[in-house]
Amino acid sequence: MQTVTPIGDAKDRSGLAGPVNFRALKKRAGRSQRWFTPYSFVLPIVLFTLLFLAYPVIYSVALSFRDATIDTFVGGDMPFNGLANYQQSLSNPSFWRALLNTVLFTFFSILFQFTIGFLLALFFQNEFPLKNALIALLLVPWLAPILTAANTFKGLFNEIGPFNQIGHLFGLPNLPWLADPRLAFIAIIIANIWIGFPFNFILLYAGMRAVPLEIYEAAKLDGAAYWKQVSHITIPMLKPVTVSVLMLGTIYTVKVFDLVWIMTGGGPANSTHLLSTYAYQTGFSVFNFGQAAAIATVMVLLIVLLNLLQLALQRK
Amino acid sequence: MCRSWWSFSACAVLSVTLIGIARSEVTTVEIVHYFNVQGQQDGLAAIKSDFEAANPDIKIQYTYVPFAELLSRTLQMAAVHKSPAISCIDNPDVLRVAKAGALKDISADVTKLSTWQDTYPGPKSAVTDGQKVYGVPIGSNSLAIFYNKKMFADAGISSPPATWADLTEDAAKLTKSPVYGLDFSATNSEEATWQWEPFLWSNGGKLLDLTAAPAKAALQFWTDFVQKGSVSRDVVNWNQGDVANQFISGRAAMMVMGPWMLGQVHKSGLDFGVTPIPVPKAGMKPVVPLGGEVWCVSKTDEKTEAAAVKFIAFVQDPARLEKICNTFNYISSVKSVAVKQGQANPELQPFVLQMDTARARPEEGGANYPAISLAARTAIQKALTGQSPVDAALSEAAEKIKTVAEKK
Repeated sequence: MQTVTPIGDAKDRSGLAGPVNFRALKKRAGRSQRWFTPYSFVLPIVLFTLLFLAYPVIYSVALSFRDATIDTFVGGDMPFNGLANYQQSLSNPSFWRALLNTVLFTFFSILFQFTIGFLLALFFQNEFPLKNALIALLLVPWLAPILTAANTFKGLFNEIGPFNQIGHLFGLPNLPWLADPRLAFIAIIIANIWIGFPFNFILLYAGMRAVPLEIYEAAKLDGAAYWKQVSHITIPMLKPVTVSVLMLGTIYTVKVFDLVWIMTGGGPANSTHLLSTYAYQTGFSVFNFGQAAAIATVMVLLIVLLNLLQLALQRK
Repeated sequence: MCRSWWSFSACAVLSVTLIGIARSEVTTVEIVHYFNVQGQQDGLAAIKSDFEAANPDIKIQYTYVPFAELLSRTLQMAAVHKSPAISCIDNPDVLRVAKAGALKDISADVTKLSTWQDTYPGPKSAVTDGQKVYGVPIGSNSLAIFYNKKMFADAGISSPPATWADLTEDAAKLTKSPVYGLDFSATNSEEATWQWEPFLWSNGGKLLDLTAAPAKAALQFWTDFVQKGSVSRDVVNWNQGDVANQFISGRAAMMVMGPWMLGQVHKSGLDFGVTPIPVPKAGMKPVVPLGGEVWCVSKTDEKTEAAAVKFIAFVQDPARLEKICNTFNYISSVKSVAVKQGQANPELQPFVLQMDTARARPEEGGANYPAISLAARTAIQKALTGQSPVDAALSEAAEKIKTVAEKK
């Protein structure tokens, strides 16, 4: 039949092979679709964000202004109680302890994770046999499930565990690592450093690789010693990487929950609670959901604050 | 019957049709639980097939959720009116969930059951609020002392400890690095309060009156073990699983533990015995806290509620109850059944003996029990780690408990 356009028709082929004519495409799409076509492309991610990210956060913040306990939860009539949840939390010394712990935990974790990661990254700029195998091995702590890592550390820090056995060799007494409030706090920081340093290492390592070798060569010609090169070339050139490493590290560390929950459960005597474990205990052990939400909101604010602070410091 | 090919096909078609007809009138009873041990799962499957055979119009459907999620899930489902027909709730939480309005009062049906009349007062009080009954205990558990027979023989101790003085003496004798005489769980969770309660209550103390002499003596008793070194300082970090591991691996000669661990200790091949919780002075009775789950009927529609009650009544048949309690390592909450279990199994006997005086935990503070327990275990941890003396730790906790208890 004459009306049927044969496949491979010259006109059609030219349309496919030539450059895409956007105006023609738009026309074909029709007037009514014109305005929302671009939006429909971003719609899935907008919906996803609203549904799975914005909704829980907003719900949690809203919950923090309500008297939400087991008794009011089922009826659904959680009465609005203004800032009462915040007032009660802020007047509780356990909350301040948890807040201080979170800040100290984050500071020391990041300090050591970054330093160890940085030194290792420097070391691995050299070429030597088995280098790649070693890099892979160094990533193990980051890949290990936290459940496994936390339980292992719990065993290592046991009073009759390996760490104390090693201590004996140096004449140290038996330390009640996880039974003493101060030592327990140090113990969870040590465990967290072990888990987090590979993340710092691998990003800094990749960042260092990206620094052009010519700069080092030029510096060498000018007679710059190794540490001069590090402090005047590597560190400044790594600044963008450093910012993201520290920022992500801070977010990850403030959020740490499972490690502490497994190793100490916030004990002994609530001395190692972070805001995350304290919020969980308030929510699911005492069933005061409203107060738990208030604590979680403070935690989010803390993360935002720490990151703003970091950005400001980096900019200087 | 279906001998030839033709009649087989006819039978098949007929039965499929019948099932189809039956299914249209089937009521499904969903049971939410956190029983994940193989024996428990087998036990549940056996009840299901027995019950469905006897009641073709009801279908049982089990849903497993992890322990930590059961309570929040129950509440969430109740909030959106999609409750499962039955939830297996941990007994200290029952009245709390009932108070939130998620459970149905089944007193009219339950009080008719002969087993209800024979139920121990402790488990009864955990599910009763005035005249209202919010569930039927599946079974109970509690705590006793597990002891390593070989270590006792080696130390020349002829009988397991019966009093606090015995326990102190034996624990000291049995301690020989790296073995500790005794082990209990004092971790920062409900486990700590629960393991301390047998000592507090047996001494006549109360969580609601922690500054009184009996409470002080009970906490001092625990603290002394740690200070003298016959209990590891690490107990403030050991949950009950850790405690059992220490005992099984021969690092502890005795432990405070419940019947749910019997299977695991047996599997290890350890030669052990079980004895009741030692009492402050000879002649006194041990008072232990009650554990164990409860069948609770949620508010759904009339038909589902009736089917759920029917299921619970079905399980209450004494022979069936004994079987289920044995597979779950529970002590039955029904006295006649529990006594039988004790006679058949000497390891369960100490737990059975303790049932008469055993108490439900919400007897202390009702719906506020979780907050009270939290304050108490903070005191326990402070005393055991030497952060504050027993007196100070307890008065601080008592202060907190006072403000909690004042809230309704």
